[in-house]
Amino acid sequence: MGEIIRLTGVSKTYDTGKIQVQALKPLDLVIEQGEYVAIMGSSGSGKSTLMNILGCLDRPTSGQYLLDGQDVSDKSDNELSLIRNQKIGFVFQSFNLIPRTSALKNVELPMIYARVSSKQREARARELLEKVGLGERLDHMPNEISGGQKQRVAIARALANRPPIIFADEPTGNLDSASSVEIMEIFTRLNREEGTTVVLVTHEPDIAEFADRILTFRDGRVISDVKKKGQTKGEVTA
Amino acid sequence: MFLENVKLALSAIGINKMRSFLTMLGMIIGISSVIAITAIGSSIQGVVNRQFESIGRSAIYFYVNWSMVDDYVPSEALFSVDELQELKKRFEGELVYADPDVYVTSPVRVGNAEKKIRLDGVDAGYENFADVDIIYGRMINENDVKGARPRIVLEVNSARRLFGTENAVGGQVELVIDGEAVDFTVVGVYREKETIFNQISTSDDLYAYIPYSTAPEEADPTLYIYAFLAPDVDVAETALRITDWLAQMKGMPEGYYVYESALEQQNMINDMLGVVSVAIGIIAGISLLVGGIGIMNIMLVSVTERTREIGIRKSLGARTGDILMQFLTESMIISALGGLIGTVLGVGIAAIGMTVAGVGFTMNPLVIVIAVGFSAIVGMFFGIYPARRAAKLDPIEALRYE
Repeated sequence: MGEIIRLTGVSKTYDTGKIQVQALKPLDLVIEQGEYVAIMGSSGSGKSTLMNILGCLDRPTSGQYLLDGQDVSDKSDNELSLIRNQKIGFVFQSFNLIPRTSALKNVELPMIYARVSSKQREARARELLEKVGLGERLDHMPNEISGGQKQRVAIARALANRPPIIFADEPTGNLDSASSVEIMEIFTRLNREEGTTVVLVTHEPDIAEFADRILTFRDGRVISDVKKKGQTKGEVTA
Repeated sequence: MFLENVKLALSAIGINKMRSFLTMLGMIIGISSVIAITAIGSSIQGVVNRQFESIGRSAIYFYVNWSMVDDYVPSEALFSVDELQELKKRFEGELVYADPDVYVTSPVRVGNAEKKIRLDGVDAGYENFADVDIIYGRMINENDVKGARPRIVLEVNSARRLFGTENAVGGQVELVIDGEAVDFTVVGVYREKETIFNQISTSDDLYAYIPYSTAPEEADPTLYIYAFLAPDVDVAETALRITDWLAQMKGMPEGYYVYESALEQQNMINDMLGVVSVAIGIIAGISLLVGGIGIMNIMLVSVTERTREIGIRKSLGARTGDILMQFLTESMIISALGGLIGTVLGVGIAAIGMTVAGVGFTMNPLVIVIAVGFSAIVGMFFGIYPARRAAKLDPIEALRYE
């Protein structure tokens, strides 16, 4: 398995005009293909900033980011859109399904932007929704299904273009514990059975426990990087 | 992708039906008024042109300039039949017909029945220039005029009312000419081409042509000359030379005689209609502008409302151009739908209006294509700014938007 993510001296500074806030201190980080990583930290710790950069929604102020061997540090907006479309699947805390649009159409969305034909789109969306256990809810609107079901639609949508990596930002933050476990089991299965790299942000230790590696953030830097199965990497120096 | 955008736009319009309709209203009003006005305008123009065609486009009147007359027209200013002949000879080839415009009403008697008839004294060859359609017999000819023979050509309805049959050729009618009863022989029956005016006219009047030389004395000499110019002459230039010559011949000051030509009147009416069309076009243009601004306004609202949706789409891989096209398509469809409804409404208004006025309604289907296309362009133009705003949204900001 090769590297899917390599950050070298990546930092992020927000310039609010009067003051400069360094939300992410220079960071080196490598994530291997097929890893299952949880990023923990309180709010304001820099974990969301990191997620935005990893997810190619934002660019680092300095440093280099290689995603799947490709330098994405200084790509144009449209190039980043293409990378998000092809390489990345997002799952959000608030589901972010398009309202008044059926589950099926929501899952088709990334494929529309990938210019997949409508026939193939529908077939793939059906297959994915069945896979997350929503084969009976294809034509339901987001407001007609439960939170857990919404998040499953979101996962199906994230998988539409077969991305090598899934970023999940507090995926269980709006769910009850039973649904949370179900959702985490889907991620685990994806990781174990299909080798998809999963990176999730959470502040709940029991959710982080599903992952194989836990990165903890505080004040814009990683304070611990723990790999389970007895292997500890120890503190990461910035 | 285009198809996807159309579907998206239609569903967005469907979700906010009332709002979409109100947004379209500007376009509906603008386009329907343009269509109705242009349709009515071109129908009126068609009617006017047909009317002048039936009079004869080269018809021209010569008469005394009333502003140069003090109390009454002196008798030496009037034209005699001989002077008419002289005029025709002088302008041979240019002035192809001239009669003293005798137009009198006389009692007419057939058997015991007596009615009133309107008599038009004409010269030979009148049927070649005016819209006279001989259906039985013949028109007044040269021998009738030269010999002042009592011959009459009846209008078909008049023939039917006098003789009970359309073909009254050979019949006798008794007219009263200068107080004396004179028998006229019917030599022909004509039909007038149908025009808007004789359709509207419901009068019971009887009409006929007689040789002007047989017309009542008081109509001769005449104040008016009714004439036709050759079709290929310059109307204004020729008419001026004729009025100058008439003044010179009669020893009257320059400008004593004036003219009025059908062609120039027709052009004047068409010019007037043209000015009215342009004025209304400008007003319609303003209403389209207002409609377009309404679309821009609602699209800006829509972009703000759907900020989060835009963020989601961008995070899933939508490019700037994808978002731009999505919103442009939506504003174009709103506008084009408005244009389509407006066109249907406008055509309906014009069709009803024309039917009520009793005028045939014709419309070029291309107008519909142009109207819808034009409103789509208006929608595109006013949609550019909101769509660009949507396309340029930062995905992180947009995703955070509540």
